[in-house]
Formats: sequence, structure tokens, C-alpha cells
Amino acid sequence: MHVHELNPKRTMITLVIFAVIIVVGLLTLSGPRLKYALSPEQTIELVTYGEGMVYPYELEDVLNGSIDSILLWDIRNTFEFGRGHIPGAENISAVNLLTPDNIKRLEQLKKDGMAVVLYGKDQLHANGPWMLFRQLGYDHVNILMGGYDYYMEWQDMLGDTYYDDVYLLGMPDFDYVEEAASAVMVAEEPSGTKATVTVKRKKKTVVAEGGC
Amino acid sequence: MNKNYIYLTLLLIVLAGGLFLLPEKENHQHLDPEDLMWSIVQPTRYVSTDQVAKRIIEGDPTLELIDVRTIDEFEEFSLQGAINIPIDSIMVPEYQDYLGIEDMSAVFYSDDDIKADQAWVLAKRLGYDHIYVMKGGLNCWIRTIIKPERPASTAAESEFELYSFRRGASMYFTGAEIAIPDDESKQKVQVARKKKTVVAEGGC
Repeated sequence: MHVHELNPKRTMITLVIFAVIIVVGLLTLSGPRLKYALSPEQTIELVTYGEGMVYPYELEDVLNGSIDSILLWDIRNTFEFGRGHIPGAENISAVNLLTPDNIKRLEQLKKDGMAVVLYGKDQLHANGPWMLFRQLGYDHVNILMGGYDYYMEWQDMLGDTYYDDVYLLGMPDFDYVEEAASAVMVAEEPSGTKATVTVKRKKKTVVAEGGC
Repeated sequence: MNKNYIYLTLLLIVLAGGLFLLPEKENHQHLDPEDLMWSIVQPTRYVSTDQVAKRIIEGDPTLELIDVRTIDEFEEFSLQGAINIPIDSIMVPEYQDYLGIEDMSAVFYSDDDIKADQAWVLAKRLGYDHIYVMKGGLNCWIRTIIKPERPASTAAESEFELYSFRRGASMYFTGAEIAIPDDESKQKVQVARKKKTVVAEGGC
């Protein structure tokens, strides 16, 4: 016989404590900090239709101040940012994009009706972070096509990029079948393709003399 | 028996029943966004066309090439041994069977690397490991492996080694033969022998 069976109140107290712990546990149960807002299927749709892409020539309006609702975020590291960046861009390295402070800021920007344009070294660099933000439901986050490298090349004539298509990705540059099947005759290499390094030695002017 | 035990039991049963009412979590099998970001910032997912070429030539059994372009594009041209998973079909269970194979490393490729990278982000979110992206895609494949460019004569020795590998790979993949001009091929090899200057003398 257990001791507490002699004391019905004790069992009651145990029962109440038990219930309280379970209820408190359920109420304070927290989910992950960030949740996906888009399903994988929706994400596929997003990337197939090329939504959220900012063309390099659209930057011109941002840079000359006629559009002030767009923020530029440079996701490269601080070192690369210091060496050069798009004027007015903020440096938020890729590793810091999901910090609680930054997420809070991003939500505030969304409320204020501001848009964010991410750019990295090239479009590929910003592709992952951009896709992740979109999947988390931050649909005011966009990506700069071409990235910083392309911007550098065209910075003085951004408007002209309207007629350029180098930054358009996801297209074949070659007719693969033709390239691969035309059995390229590889000509025999002439020997000595590598330049030989000739070391010029300074002539000794003084004849070696005996003794030190 | 104390009645309180019955209450306790009932309470636990009711609470356990409450589990059925919890909303079904859609994300539970997906990678946590923070972990996904952590994987995204690592450049280790990129493999070069040279690495892929080398593994195809060596017949690496763990290599699984995955073409994320459309079916038409895949049927027109694909890399040796590649499987086609169009990016919009990545959620189809039959296709996903190709992704979770143990000990295999799946390398995504497309025309360049954007589409492949997008497929990678999706697959990573779905929780697949050992997945990679071929940097530069097929455009880079043609440029480096099929039509390699000869390095400048002042380039480093390692670049010549790479060039020689790529020429070999080009021949392997295109089935091209080395064209040797006729006159050169028939050149006779002349062995210059050193003349003996001293007539052999007897004794040691």
C-alpha cells in the first residue's frame, strides 16, 4: 500500500501539478523561428516564370534617385564590398541575411512598401538567398540579373544594357548536338607549345682570384 | 482504488487525444530555413566540368548526372549516363527516387548553372544530401571540354596539363581522332649513334 493512498489530497495535488505542466508545455511549445510560406510547387512556379528579376537597366532609375522605394543589398563579404560596390548599396553578407535583426528589418520594410534587390558577385551568387527569402514569403525581395560583375562592366552605360542579352541566363549558347557530333578533328599539336624559359646569366667580370 | 487515479488516467487520455487535433505540419520533413541558408552560402556544392569529365571517363559508379532541362532538350543532347529530371517535375515521387540513393552523388546540370542551382535549392529543402551543381553547365562543358582553348605560351605548366587533359577528354566525348598530316607521320626515326672512338683492346 502506497503512503499517499492514505491521503487523497496528495493525489489530487499530483494530478493538478501534472495537468499544469502539460498545459504550460503545450502553450509554450514554439515552432521553428522561420517557416516556409511557399510550397515547393509554388517555388517551382516562381523560378519558372522569372518573377522578381530586376534587369540591369532598371538600376538606372534607382541610382539616379527617381525610384526611392528600392534598397540594394550587397550579399558579398565585407572585404569585397569594401573594394567596390553599387552606390547606395548596403552590405549584408549572405551569412547574416537570416539574423533576427535583419528579419525584423525586412518585415518592417515590407510594411513600409519598400522593396529589396539582392545582388552578389554574379546572379548565381544571389540565387540561393533570393530563393530562400521568397520561399519564406518575403515577396518584396528581388534579385539583380547579372550581379555585380555585370554591373561593373556596364556601370557607365546601364541604359544600354537594354539591348544586351549577356545577363540573360538559362539559355544554350551552342547547338550542343552540332558541337559534340561534328567530331572535331583535333589537329596534332606542334611540339614545343610551352615557351621555354631561358635564363640569362650575368657574365662574371672578375676572374676568380685565389684566397679570401 | 482511489477515484483520483481514474481522473488522472482520463485526463491523460484526453490530452493524448488532443494530439490528433494538432494541425498537420507541412514543413516537418523539410530542412529548417536557417540550415538551408547555411548550406546555400557554402560553395562546396559546385563541381567543375573537368571534375565531371574525369569521373565520366574513369567510369565512377557513384556519379549520377541529373539533367534538369526539359524532356525535349534532354532527348536532343545530354551528357553520358545522365538522367532527366525536368525542374518542374522535381516533386514527382518517381523522379525523387533518383535523388535519395545512398553513396551516390547527384550532380545537377542545365544550360548554365542557374536552373541547376534552383533545382539544388529545392532538393536541399526537401532534405536530400550529396547533391551538387555543375558550375557553368553545358555551355561551360562545350567551352572547356569539347572545344578547349590552348593556353598562352607563357601560361603556367599546370594550365598546359589541364589543356592536355581537356583535349583528351574532347576526343573521348566527340569520338574525334587525332589528325596527323601524312608527310609527318611517315618521317623516319633516325637514331644517331655515337661513334666508337676507341677500338676495343684486349685485356681488362
